[in-house]
Amino acid sequence: MRLTYSKQMLGAAAVLALLVAAGPVRAQTRAETLRYVTGASVNTLDPNIPGSTREAFAVSLSTYDRLVSFGRKQLNGKWVFDLDSIRGELAESYDVSPDGLKITFHLRKDAKFQDGTPVTADDVKWSLDRAVTAKILGKAQLLTGSLTDASQFKVIDAATFEVTLPKPDKLALPNLATVYPIIINSKLAKAHVTEEDPWAQAWLKENTAGSGAYIIETFKPGEQVILKRNDAWNRGPGGKQAFFKRLIVQSVPEAATRANLVEKGDVDIVIDLQASDAQSLEAKGKLQVISTPQYNAITFVSMNNQMAPFDKVDVRRAIAYALPYDDMFKAALFGRGAPLTSATWSDGKPPSGAFPIPQPIKLDLDKAKAYLKAAGYPDGFSTTFSFNVGQAATAEPMAALLKESLAKIGIKIDIQKLPDAQMSTQITEKKLPFFTEGVVAWLPSTDYFYRNFYTGDQRWNYSSINNPELTAIAQEARFEADKVKYEADGKLLNAIHFDQMPQIPLWQPSQDAVMASSIEGYTYQFHRQVDYRDLSRK
Amino acid sequence: MKLATTAKRAARRFASSLPALFGVLIFTFLLMRVLPGDPAVFFASGPNAGKEEIETIRKQMGLDKPVPQQLALYLYDVGRGNLGRSLMTGQNVTKDLKERLPASLELTFSALLIALVLALPLGILAALRPGSLIDHGVRLFCALGVCIPTFVSGLLLIYVFYYLLGVAPDPTGRVDIFISQPPSRTGFLLIDFLLAGDLDGWWAAFKQLILPACTMALFVIAPLARITRASMLASLGSDFVRTARSVGLSWWRIVVTYALRNAILPVITIAGIVFSTMLGANVLVEKVFSWPGVASYALDALLSSDYAPVQGFVLLMAFVFVIVNLVVDVLYGIADPRISIG
Repeated sequence: MRLTYSKQMLGAAAVLALLVAAGPVRAQTRAETLRYVTGASVNTLDPNIPGSTREAFAVSLSTYDRLVSFGRKQLNGKWVFDLDSIRGELAESYDVSPDGLKITFHLRKDAKFQDGTPVTADDVKWSLDRAVTAKILGKAQLLTGSLTDASQFKVIDAATFEVTLPKPDKLALPNLATVYPIIINSKLAKAHVTEEDPWAQAWLKENTAGSGAYIIETFKPGEQVILKRNDAWNRGPGGKQAFFKRLIVQSVPEAATRANLVEKGDVDIVIDLQASDAQSLEAKGKLQVISTPQYNAITFVSMNNQMAPFDKVDVRRAIAYALPYDDMFKAALFGRGAPLTSATWSDGKPPSGAFPIPQPIKLDLDKAKAYLKAAGYPDGFSTTFSFNVGQAATAEPMAALLKESLAKIGIKIDIQKLPDAQMSTQITEKKLPFFTEGVVAWLPSTDYFYRNFYTGDQRWNYSSINNPELTAIAQEARFEADKVKYEADGKLLNAIHFDQMPQIPLWQPSQDAVMASSIEGYTYQFHRQVDYRDLSRK
Repeated sequence: MKLATTAKRAARRFASSLPALFGVLIFTFLLMRVLPGDPAVFFASGPNAGKEEIETIRKQMGLDKPVPQQLALYLYDVGRGNLGRSLMTGQNVTKDLKERLPASLELTFSALLIALVLALPLGILAALRPGSLIDHGVRLFCALGVCIPTFVSGLLLIYVFYYLLGVAPDPTGRVDIFISQPPSRTGFLLIDFLLAGDLDGWWAAFKQLILPACTMALFVIAPLARITRASMLASLGSDFVRTARSVGLSWWRIVVTYALRNAILPVITIAGIVFSTMLGANVLVEKVFSWPGVASYALDALLSSDYAPVQGFVLLMAFVFVIVNLVVDVLYGIADPRISIG
């Protein structure tokens, strides 16, 4: 009995000694590891699978390469992606023919997939064919860049690949840098093709076959993904490999816990904290907080233009002058973002053809009352205002202020808080009269915004506006190569928007990236996630 | 002989609960389809998702078929042990639940153990000195435990033990992410680490478990302690205890052997109910501690109208409830041989 006890003590001492010895080793690997936590989760390794989360997009950027990728630029002192600078990723270089109808890609000769086989034009062809043919998310995205059919993709030789366009489309090349057109190891994927699944979707959901900067080590959907560096990868800016040797992407649902973790230094970077936490962490000054207005995203107060009373333009204008924008901005976002209201347009005309631009609207109850009277509702009316539970942190204070202010002009609001799935269903079915929602455009150009968010009978046309003039100009602008004419088209669209006021752009919320002070290289990306390849440690 | 009859009775009890399970299955299936919220629309939420994608997902989920046919297909699948596929995690629900159930069970068992270890003595002490300072103290403690919501006590414990004192590990899941997991044999990390002989790992998992388990235990100490007190009071005041006292039996013998054994039945019942409730209702604790359990899984699925996981979860809970009731019945028989289940 005595003996076993002392043996146990000996064992414990040995364990302790081991722990002490292992300490520094572990600390060193910790510095080479990037730990990222998020409230959402990674649900698939192929970003193309319907239902993929944004976290899954971020992981796919590190596990797969695309032909090209966006450069970055500084906007108000912060690094953001640059839609106008496109550099090669798997392509060493590319040429666009003078008529803009052919893009030729020269592939890197040294690029290899993670299993060691070289990347060839055949792999590129199979991957892009898959993106436009299979029933996957890439299809609808690539459509916006006139990439619709497998016959547009041609293999010239093992290292040369050609894309043909029906019209010169300035979004064709940027589209190939988005999340979906990943280049897949076609030999590997084809080995897992079945009759009902000719594009290996089922296999690629759980496995990777890419050439990207990181290799999947463990993947637990909904919990964590652990990746290790692909040392052979050299597709970073300047031919560099990724900095971190190990990458941990972990789901931590509670926002307060995420804030604790990053403050304690157990986590290196987090981008989805509550605005109040981000603000207090910034005030404490121990961590870096890089707050970038999401310049490709907009939060709206939307009105259903096909539904009474919002089918009357004067009602919509009345609402636009009856909202306390400054208070809403402070209460909902703690002032973290870029407001899109309270501007002055000197001659009443839009100063720019960009979208979105700040609107010349501010709280003016007399004006609002006058518009309401003109619309035939001098005593106001009753309606509901909806938002989804997922956005409650920002939408709830905002809705309360909206209700209070609209009551002053006689409009009675009943606030409706809907579970996310119900909200999206009702928006798609166009059943909500009055609500708040946000949009994001990966490729934020004026015509793209107007075509996707102001035309057609589809979910993203929140206001259900159906204005033939607007639709025609937006479609025409898409293929407008002349920059001056494009700007003029943009101004026209902005003028129609202001005149019709189909919905009210409120603000562009900031993305607050909170990170340890040792982290460098953070860039705000079009997909609004962290591109882990950008980061390094001092 | 006795064991065989108990087993036979337990099997009969189980068989008789099958219709109830079947009812739950159908009810949940229909309920999910009545709820507003279309999973296809929700999951087709890429920046360019259009009608076509919604249709694809609908077809993939089998939602394009009429409801009776969907139900028939679902029953057929469930009969073969296939609970369908979750769109949220992209995995089979059976696989998800199998991975997550041990996490929830481990947490719930630990919490129940802590709760019982604290609640029984507290209840007995309170019953032995009713109206005393101890009794009031226990009452206050119970009231506090039950009126602080679990996410508040959870966040509070994290704030004190992780953030301020730094003695607890970061509250992210079942084991420190830098520690390699043991080969999964039972799914219970504490047991798996022991089986693998990895004491470091065991300690790490234990440290990770203790805060969430305490959070949950705090919440359920109240019903357990109160019921212990009430039934101890009843049995302490009964004739047989008076007789035992009069014949001069030792204090210990009176309280533990006679009073407690007679008072334990209601405690077992409540413990069974508390266990089933905790397993399903510990969603807040799971969320706060990023615990990869079944309850937070079901909540996420419900919010996104992901039918299969919710149905699978409800079925699982009904099943667990049946099992727990069986166990409670068997424990009854052990605690009081006069009772037979049937």
